Amino acid sequence: MADLRPILLVEDNLKDIELTLAALAKCQLANDIVVARDGAEALDYLYCRGQHQDRLGGDPAVVLLDLKLPKVDGLEVLATIKSDAATRSIPVVMLTSSREESDLIRSYELGVNAFVVKPVDFNAFFEAIQDLGMFWGVLNETPPRIASGGSVEKKQ
Amino acid sequence: MVSAVSTSDLNLDLCAQEPIRFPGSIQPHGTLVVVDPNSRRIVQASANAPALLGQRRGSSVLGLSVTELVGETAERQINAWLANPDSNYLRTLEVNGERLQVLGHQTAQGIILEFEQPPASEGETLEAYYPRVGRFMEDLPAYEDVADLCAAAAREFRQISGFNRILIYRFDEQWNGEVLAEDGDGVLPSYAGLRFPASDIPTQARELYRLNRLRVIPDANYTPVPIEPPLDPGGKPLDLSFAALRSVSPVHLQYMRNMGTLASMSISVLVDGRLWGLVSAHNATPRRVNAQARTACDLLGKVLSQHIGARERGAYAAKRMALKQVESELLTKIASSDSFQSGLGAHASTWLNVVGASGAAVLHDDAVFTAGTAPAPERLRALAEKLHQQGTDCFVTDSLSLQWPEFSDIVDVASGVLAISISQLHSSYILWFRPEVERTVLWAGDPRAAKQVDNERLTPRHSFASWKELVKGRALPWSQAEIDGAVDFRSAIINFVLRRAEERAELTSQLQRSNRELESFSYSVSHDLRAPFRHIVGYTQLLRERERSLSPQSLHYLDSINEAAVSAGQLVDDLLSFSQLGRTALSMSPVDMQKVVQEIVRSVAPDTRGRQIEWRIQRLPPANGDAALLRQALYNLVDNALKYSRDRSPAIIEISGEQHPSECVYTVRDNGVGFDMAYAHKLFGVFQRLHRMEDFAGTGIGLALTQRIIERHGGWIEARGALDEGAEFRFGIPLKGASVDG
Repeated sequence: MADLRPILLVEDNLKDIELTLAALAKCQLANDIVVARDGAEALDYLYCRGQHQDRLGGDPAVVLLDLKLPKVDGLEVLATIKSDAATRSIPVVMLTSSREESDLIRSYELGVNAFVVKPVDFNAFFEAIQDLGMFWGVLNETPPRIASGGSVEKKQ
Repeated sequence: MVSAVSTSDLNLDLCAQEPIRFPGSIQPHGTLVVVDPNSRRIVQASANAPALLGQRRGSSVLGLSVTELVGETAERQINAWLANPDSNYLRTLEVNGERLQVLGHQTAQGIILEFEQPPASEGETLEAYYPRVGRFMEDLPAYEDVADLCAAAAREFRQISGFNRILIYRFDEQWNGEVLAEDGDGVLPSYAGLRFPASDIPTQARELYRLNRLRVIPDANYTPVPIEPPLDPGGKPLDLSFAALRSVSPVHLQYMRNMGTLASMSISVLVDGRLWGLVSAHNATPRRVNAQARTACDLLGKVLSQHIGARERGAYAAKRMALKQVESELLTKIASSDSFQSGLGAHASTWLNVVGASGAAVLHDDAVFTAGTAPAPERLRALAEKLHQQGTDCFVTDSLSLQWPEFSDIVDVASGVLAISISQLHSSYILWFRPEVERTVLWAGDPRAAKQVDNERLTPRHSFASWKELVKGRALPWSQAEIDGAVDFRSAIINFVLRRAEERAELTSQLQRSNRELESFSYSVSHDLRAPFRHIVGYTQLLRERERSLSPQSLHYLDSINEAAVSAGQLVDDLLSFSQLGRTALSMSPVDMQKVVQEIVRSVAPDTRGRQIEWRIQRLPPANGDAALLRQALYNLVDNALKYSRDRSPAIIEISGEQHPSECVYTVRDNGVGFDMAYAHKLFGVFQRLHRMEDFAGTGIGLALTQRIIERHGGWIEARGALDEGAEFRFGIPLKGASVDG
C-alpha cells in the first residue's frame, strides 16, 4: 500500500466527471485521479503514447470506464485491455448509465472486473463510487506488469 | 390409378405371359417368307411355302431368291413396291400361274412377304369402296355424339366386311370394354350396352393392337403352320407383330369358339396414340375378307379415330375453358382475401365448381376449411396423412374405398377424391369430393368367370349371357379436363402461397428493421435520458452539502428538485424494463416460487421497517418460467400490496398458490385501500393510476409490467377489490411453459 497507483477515470461527460470526482474526494482517497476524455486517450495513457508518452510508466490501480465514449467506445477499450497479456491484469470497472442487458453480457464476455449502473439517486451513486475507490484503488493488489511500459506489443 | 371393380384379380392373367408376338407359326390361309434384304434370298418360311411354287421344285424354299420363288415379273413388281410402300398391302399378283394378294413389310429380321389366296368371292376392288367411304366421311360431322358416330361406323363396317355382327366398344379407365354401338344381321346375339372385362384383352395384346391396327382370323378352328426354321440366322424367334397372318393365342381361339364366332376381324381406334377402343367384327361361320376390304376397313378405322379424337379434344377444350373461367373467377376472389383458405371458404360454390365436386376441403397450417358435403375433420386429416405418405402432387380416384379400404366409412360423401398437394414439406392439401353413385353394369358374361382353368388348361368363360353387377363405392369419374384444371389450380395456389410468404418475409424484415430502430432508440434513451436526471440529483446534493445555512424554504425547494429528478429517473428505468421485456427471450426452467417469495419478503424488509406487517404465506407450487421475470412480476404485486396497505396496522399480506391440472395459480391479497371494480380494467394499463400521485407514489408501470410478464408466459392475471376492503391479484402460469413472443 506504500505505492498508491492512480485511478484512471475514462468519461466524456463533464458533469459526470465533476460528480465522480466529488464522490471520490468524499472518500478521501490518496490516489491520483487521471481523467481521459475518450477511449483513444485512455489507451494512449495505458500504453504511454500520444499526449501521455512522457508519463512515468506503471499501470493504474483501476480503470473506471464509461461505456459510451467518443472515438473508441468503452467496450472497445475493454476489449483492447483484456486481450493484451501486458494489460489484462488491470482491473476495469464499467461505469455506465446503460441498463442494457446486452452491454452487461458483452462486458463480462470481454472480461470486465465489475459492472456498475450509475444510480440516479446521488447518495447511492456516492456509495457505489466510494466502494469502488476503496476496493480497487486501495485494497486490491494487482500483479506487477511483465513487460516494461513503452514497448508493449499491442493486439487489436 | 384405379383398380377394376370385382374383376381386378383377373388382370393377373396367364395370357399376359404368352409370347404373342413370337408365336412361331402363322394362320393357314396364306404363306409367309422372310427375305434377307442383302442377299435377297429366303432365310425363313412357313411350312406351306413350297406350295407357292406348285409341284415344280423340291420341298423347300429356303435359300431361294425371290425371283426363283415368284418369277421375274412378280419379283420386279414386289421390289418396286417395297422401295416405295404406301401400305403393307402391295397388290394382287400373278405368281406361278395363281392370283395371290401380296403383303410386305420390313423388319429388323428381314423383309416379310405374305401371300394370300383371294377369297372364293373376290368381292369389290378398292376403288369400288371409295364412294361408300367418301359418303360416310361427308356424313360424319352430322352425328351429334360419339355413340351416334360409332353406330354409323358400325353399319359401314358391316357393309364393307360382310360380317354377321360389328361391335364398336370403348375402353374405360380399367380397360373394360363398353359396347357403344352394334350392327348385326341377327345371326349372332346382340351385346349392345354390355361390358367386356379388361382381362379379355391382356395388356400385351392391347399394346400390339396399338401398334398393328388390323387383325383377321378367318377360321378359329385353324391349324397353325410353323415357321421353318423357327429361329432367324441370329438365333432369335421371328417377330410377327406386323404380320397379317400371325397365329394367335389358343386361349383367344377358344374364346371365339365359346362366343360362337368362328371368324373375326378387329380394327383399333387410336386417339392421341392411345388405344381408345376397338371395332370388332364377328361371323358365326369361317369367313375370309379380301385385302381390299381390309384396306377399306383400315381407312374407315382411321377416319373414325380422327373424328373421335377431334370430338374428344373439342369437348376437352370446351370443358377446360369453362373450368378455367371458374378457376380465374375463384383466384380473383382469393387474391382479395386474407388467405387462400378463407378465400376458398368464402366462395364455396365457385370452389366446388372448379372441378364439379359436391364437397371440398382445404388442410393447411393445421386448419381445416370445408365446403359442400365433406368428410369430418379428423377423417380429412387421416386422408391428408395417407396422401402425404404417398407423396403425390395430384391424387385422383373415383373409388376411394376400393383403393384404401380404411376409408370405407366415408364412401357416401367421398367415393371420388381429387386431391392436390400445395406444400412439399407439410401435408397441406386441397381436396374435392364426389359422393358414391350406385349403378348397374351389364357384363358380357360373369367377369369373375372370364378365365377358368379346366384340366390345368386356361380357358375363357363359356357364357357371354348378360350378367348384372351392382357397383358400389364408386363416384362419377373425374374427367381429364377436371383433373388438368385441378393441376392448374394447384400451381396458381402455390404461387399465391409463395407470394404471400414473400410479402410476409418482407413485412418481417420491415418489422425487424423497425424493431432494431426501436432498440437503438431505447438504448439511447437509457444512456442519455438517465444522465441529466442523475446530474440534477447529484448537483442538488452537492449544493445542499455545501450551503449549510439554507432556509427551510430553500431546502424544501432542493428536496422537491431532488424528488422530481429521482422519480423521473425511476420512470425512465421502468419504461426501459417494460420495453426490454418484449425483446428478450424467456429462459424457461422450473422456478421455486416459495423461495422467490421468501427472497422478496427479505428484500422489502429495509423499506418496511417500523411497519406492522402480518405475512400469511402458504405453500406455493413451483412454476415453469423465467425465474428473473417471475420474481419481477411477483415483486411488483407484493410491492403494490405493501404500498396500498401502508395505513393499516397490521397490514395483512397473504400469498397463496394452488396447482391445477394445466396451470399453477398464485394469489396476492392485502387489506389495504383496495379499488373500485369499475376501474379494474384500467389497472394493468401503462401509466394508469387509480390514486392521486401524492397519495401513493409510483410510475404506473408496475402492474403493466407484471401483466406483460405473465402474458409472455402464456398465462393470465386478474384483479378483484373493493374500496377500502383490500385487493386481490390472481395469476395463472401454464404448466407446460409456452413462451409467447412480444
